Amino acid sequence: MFIAQLKNELWKLFGKKRTYIGFGAFIFAQSAMLLAFRFTRWQSDFERLLSNNGYLATEFISALTVSVVMLMPQIILLMPLYTTLVGGDMVAKEAEDGTLRMILSRPISRVRLLFVKWVAGVIFAIILVLILGMTALVLARIWFPWKGMFFFAPGMAFSVLPAGEGLERFALAHVFLAVNASVMLSLAFMFSCFNMKPAAATILALSYLFVNVVMEGIPFFDRYENWFITHHFRCWLYVFQSPVPWAEVFQSVVILLATTATVFIIGATGFQVRDIKS
Amino acid sequence: MIELRKVRKRFGQRLAVDEVSLEVPRGEIFGLLGHNGAGKSTAIGMMLGQVWPTSGDVKVCGHDVTTQRARALQKVGAIFETPAFYDYLSGRRNLEILSHYTAPTSPKRIGEVVDWVGLTERVDSKVRTYSHGMRARLALAQALLPHPELLILDEPGSGLDPEGIAEMRQTIGRLHRELGLTILLSSHLLNEVEQLCTRIAVLQQGRKVFEGLVTEIRAARSQVALKTPDFAFAVRLLQKRGLVTGSSDNRFLSLKDGCSTAEITRALVEADIPVEGIWQHEQTLEDFYLSLVKAPSSTPAVN
Repeated sequence: MFIAQLKNELWKLFGKKRTYIGFGAFIFAQSAMLLAFRFTRWQSDFERLLSNNGYLATEFISALTVSVVMLMPQIILLMPLYTTLVGGDMVAKEAEDGTLRMILSRPISRVRLLFVKWVAGVIFAIILVLILGMTALVLARIWFPWKGMFFFAPGMAFSVLPAGEGLERFALAHVFLAVNASVMLSLAFMFSCFNMKPAAATILALSYLFVNVVMEGIPFFDRYENWFITHHFRCWLYVFQSPVPWAEVFQSVVILLATTATVFIIGATGFQVRDIKS
Repeated sequence: MIELRKVRKRFGQRLAVDEVSLEVPRGEIFGLLGHNGAGKSTAIGMMLGQVWPTSGDVKVCGHDVTTQRARALQKVGAIFETPAFYDYLSGRRNLEILSHYTAPTSPKRIGEVVDWVGLTERVDSKVRTYSHGMRARLALAQALLPHPELLILDEPGSGLDPEGIAEMRQTIGRLHRELGLTILLSSHLLNEVEQLCTRIAVLQQGRKVFEGLVTEIRAARSQVALKTPDFAFAVRLLQKRGLVTGSSDNRFLSLKDGCSTAEITRALVEADIPVEGIWQHEQTLEDFYLSLVKAPSSTPAVN
């Protein structure tokens, strides 16, 4: 029964055109970035950076390096937008359209309904991340050779990895990216459970994330960085470091999963007590 | 099948439903009447566990909706004023989605119900291409899929053309006759309610102001229509002779108990008042409803 209900939620989710906006936007952004990498001074600047650090630039300007460089701005800017867009729609849009009233004339409990919807949302988040990673790698491979990976992120030590290990780390990073995407979606999903428009749920979730980013960036709040979920979103970047700081990764993942559970419970409580009217 | 006991619902400062008690027995077509904002949809929302009562008990199929919602709604189908669907999906997919919130439903069962409502040819088209009437049929199909014993219809005729309303009336009749369903019908279409329902309740400003049989309404307070050049003069004369107790609409006479139309005619003819026509007037539901809702709210109408 749960599987049948989940399948139906996925039909609803993937039957809507707006669900695909994120996929389209990612592919467009990646293509634009690749053109910029290929035909601007980015490559020569990057070669200089590698040379200054004692590496042979030609060995590390590769599909893997470019893929990770492309992912970073997309994860910060586009992923929150498209995951919260879908998460904000999941309950509030049904309430707005009147289909929620049709569903709730059936003997399904509200918590179960929310859980099925949330699982469908998490599946969307995972697919979005997988497509994002795969298209980044495939598109980058069209223009750049298959060689070792050079990783550099602000505030972190750079690292170099052979192609095979680089690919493994790239794949592993997507597990944590999927966790990030699920948290973002869950946040919007929580707001969506209350009596508000879908756009309002999306905006509130995005606002919460932006406030986290801004506060995390203020030096005064350095000591409180563990309280900002955007700080823990960086766990996917840690896997490119050598050695991988597993303790930090584990801590961040636990905090992110706890955040997801918390927002789900808050949303479910709000949804359980509210009246559903036309 | 439905039992409301002293149910109240408050939205902030506004009391939407106030101490309403009513009972819908198995096998009946029960009409719920009231103007917009009278509390009908809130009452229906409470029956379906969509709106939580502030106080009182709501039971459906013998189960408390607040504490045993899943059991209470297992054999219930519902249709709302504007049936909403996933327009970007086919009718069949919509039926699959909605029915799976109750129980697994076989394609055979979906086919049977689609056939029953007469939507077989278009069930695989996207719902956005459906006419209002087809959407109403799809709504009926989704309500029938879980083999319901009770159907709750909230303004099912809203937005339909006269042909659609007639079709809807026939369909409700069929549901009652062929499937033996108990039906709660909330509607503004008094003519439809009068033709279909055996019993009605009227809500006004959240309170129940009447509950009773439609046949009782027709029989109660029956009046005589009189056509004469000077109606007011005729009424004064008849009142003086103690034959009528009142009049209304410059046309209707309320006769004193035991007084017949023949006695009225004789009295008028003897007084040289021309009688152009006199006949028994049976009160319609509309007459009754309007008299009820126009009456001061304090009037203890019935029950």
